[in-house]
Amino acid sequence: MTNCEWRKKIGLYVDGELDPRAEQAIAGHLQGCVDCSSAVLEQQALKKAVRVAGKRFTAPPDLYASVQRQMQPKNSPRLFVRPWLKWSALAASAFLLGVITFGLLSRPSASNATVAQLIDQHVIMLASANPVDVISSDKHTVKPWFQGKLPFTFNPPELVAGSPFTLVGGKLVYAQHAPGAELVYQVRQHKISVFIFQSRNVSGEPAAGNQTFVVNGWQEGGLQYYIVTDAAREDADRLRALMEDANRS
Amino acid sequence: MAATVIARGNVSGLENKDFEKLAVPLLDGLYNFARWQCGDPDEARDLVQETFLKSLKGFSSFREGTNFKAWMFRILRNTFLTSRTGLERRNTQQEDEEGFEESSVSQETPEIALIRRADTELVQAAIAQLAPAFQEVILLADLEEMKYQEIAEALDIPIGTVMSRLARARKQVREHIVLTLGGKRTVGVK
Repeated sequence: MTNCEWRKKIGLYVDGELDPRAEQAIAGHLQGCVDCSSAVLEQQALKKAVRVAGKRFTAPPDLYASVQRQMQPKNSPRLFVRPWLKWSALAASAFLLGVITFGLLSRPSASNATVAQLIDQHVIMLASANPVDVISSDKHTVKPWFQGKLPFTFNPPELVAGSPFTLVGGKLVYAQHAPGAELVYQVRQHKISVFIFQSRNVSGEPAAGNQTFVVNGWQEGGLQYYIVTDAAREDADRLRALMEDANRS
Repeated sequence: MAATVIARGNVSGLENKDFEKLAVPLLDGLYNFARWQCGDPDEARDLVQETFLKSLKGFSSFREGTNFKAWMFRILRNTFLTSRTGLERRNTQQEDEEGFEESSVSQETPEIALIRRADTELVQAAIAQLAPAFQEVILLADLEEMKYQEIAEALDIPIGTVMSRLARARKQVREHIVLTLGGKRTVGVK
């Protein structure tokens, strides 16, 4: 048991609640006090454990829609509509429907909307203070975390020593109302998102032409994989090869 | 994590679209917090919807310099405390706090390895066994990464209470993990 005067401030230090001067002083003290530095490590481990375990529940996707609806202004006045106007509106609707149908059928790929969603998801991850729900560079921690959360399983690749990729963690995502996994990897200063869904729910080759992000998609064993990143295309291709090797049936 | 504080001078110009921009990113955290508080998915869902409705209505009177995240969590918690489940909890909360006795620190050496070995389920069980007053503080501090001042605002309690509840919550979580894993280890040796 130590009577170190700093001991009571360790919680404040770990929570970043000390003023810069006190923080500097305690940091200096930690260099020479084994008990206090062990206590700091313990508090940090505890904080991390609570952060991971505390993120237990994910808001259902339709809750987002309900809340968005709530926020729409409800001040649109009711209008008296003359009969002839109804017919005109009907004709205009039919025309519009035709235009939309033609547009949909003539699109190069129906997966564009999904890819756009996944790019948004990747950008949200980049901007988030909590980019992943399970934080670990160990695939044996990240993979089991998805058990019971997804109706399928997959294998994150085994990253050998010297690999440019580091696993950052993973999180649960939704696209086209279907649940999927997002694995986040780091390569140099860039992040790479690997999205995995059941191909019966989410599928399709990403269309070429996105100048900002590299998007790579493929199917394997009933699963649809997408890689989204702002890293070099070669990095995306290398990670794809690793994912394919790990999940080859 | 940087707190969202509405800067001076912006208040009069805030519109619904500003609310949406600020509030929607908090939805997942609010829902998670609501589920921990009330335990029921449907109740949590209603709680989040009511929180959004109330905060949207009150957004025009949102005070400058107030922390938006703390404000939203405060509305959610107040809404919960006036619900049936919340009222039941409030009646037992005082007892929980008074019933807590500070036990002496059993050992100096921290069981860091045990904490790191603890799986998510065990830590969730440790959080779940906390009294509500401790549970909400540790979730806001460690999961939502809110500062003590923000937590004090969200829960409407003094900052000193935040600090003492947080220390007790962590101590209880730590003890739960160490006792569970340490106990298993002892059994294994025998």
